[in-house]
Amino acid sequence: MTQDNGSNLLKATNEDTSGPFFPIYFQDESLEDLTVLGPGIVGAPSGQHIILCGRVLDRHGNLANGVLMEFWQANAKGIYNSPANLGHPDLDSWFNGYGRLRSASGEYKFCTIMPGASDSRAPNITITLFSDGISRIVTQVFFEGHKANETDPVLKSLDTDDQARLIARHGGQTDGGAEIYLLDIVMAGVNETPFFDDFES
Amino acid sequence: MTQFGRQLGIGPTDNTSDQRTPRKPLRLIPSVARESFVPVVPARYVIRTHEWDMTRIAPGRPRGDGTPIEVTGTLRNENGTPIRDALIEIWNANHHGRYRHVEDASGLQLDENFFGMGRVVTDEDGNYRFWTISPGAYLARPDIGRWRPKHIHLSISGGSARLITQMYFPNEPNNASDPMAILMGDGFENNIGKTYETSDLDVDEGYRFDIVVGGRNATFFE
Repeated sequence: MTQDNGSNLLKATNEDTSGPFFPIYFQDESLEDLTVLGPGIVGAPSGQHIILCGRVLDRHGNLANGVLMEFWQANAKGIYNSPANLGHPDLDSWFNGYGRLRSASGEYKFCTIMPGASDSRAPNITITLFSDGISRIVTQVFFEGHKANETDPVLKSLDTDDQARLIARHGGQTDGGAEIYLLDIVMAGVNETPFFDDFES
Repeated sequence: MTQFGRQLGIGPTDNTSDQRTPRKPLRLIPSVARESFVPVVPARYVIRTHEWDMTRIAPGRPRGDGTPIEVTGTLRNENGTPIRDALIEIWNANHHGRYRHVEDASGLQLDENFFGMGRVVTDEDGNYRFWTISPGAYLARPDIGRWRPKHIHLSISGGSARLITQMYFPNEPNNASDPMAILMGDGFENNIGKTYETSDLDVDEGYRFDIVVGGRNATFFE
């Protein structure tokens, strides 16, 4: 195994594209709807049900077919289920906060609960995209109408055009009472979604 | 004010990379928000126990066409600490270069004895092992005659470790022209399996592929 010059750290294996054929076979429906524990199981996470949906688009405005999306968020009380919060009294036993789906068409729909505001942050969901042609790109999505958006440090680090590209629009309510939020993610080109550098930051 | 980080490269001769690679440099994350960008994948995996042997569809079934190989390695973080209980999802084309995937429209031959998808979990020392059939290279750009070299896809999820990568094979003629290999530069060597003897095993070739998950995840490693 090789080592970095002047560092004791091991050299990280290169990320690579997932290619177009990430197996649909690996699909796990429990990661596409975090409000449901599984068939026949009593219990549910606390919080307002929401549906985050939209399209992932390429440089020409075409749907990015075959995209793998991963989601990461705090629970309704704003607490992430991370090792740093082990034993935290406001953890929700029924909410891990990690979701994953593969979209064949490029349209997506993720069912979850509205994350709480955590520390100095506005409610947000981290989205990681894997697809053919790229290795991995990461961003965070926010929700229209939250007062805390005005003071969120991530949003504040962006210009107003880029801020708007990360705020999901409220799109009504389902018959079941879930709030619908709409966000298109543009991978490249005009109206490109701002993506973040979580390696170098 | 926005601070910018890396500019991602576009894979040469890769149309999808041209369509999907962000053109603006990545934005740096304000330090107060950094931890929020590190997902933790819960260990709730559903795996069939025979999935480590991808050379056949199920125990007792005939082997697929081509060369059966073993791939082994250790999963570590950049500090060298083994990552245990991590899920490794594996997929590769069959001997003829065809994926058993509904969206693979190449028309290449399917193999009725090869599935091409499997999952394993690293042991307490971060080690993993699986068997598969050595994948075929396939013509990715018929218009310009560019092939994708033989490769195996690996997706790793374990706590805050998350990596999707590919293992390539040594001395393959198509390695040098692969767009993703070109983007990796000299670092491509790290993504090539290293051969070892398998005379005592029921496979024909062995490849060592040690994996280091790095970069963003220092916060939550033990």
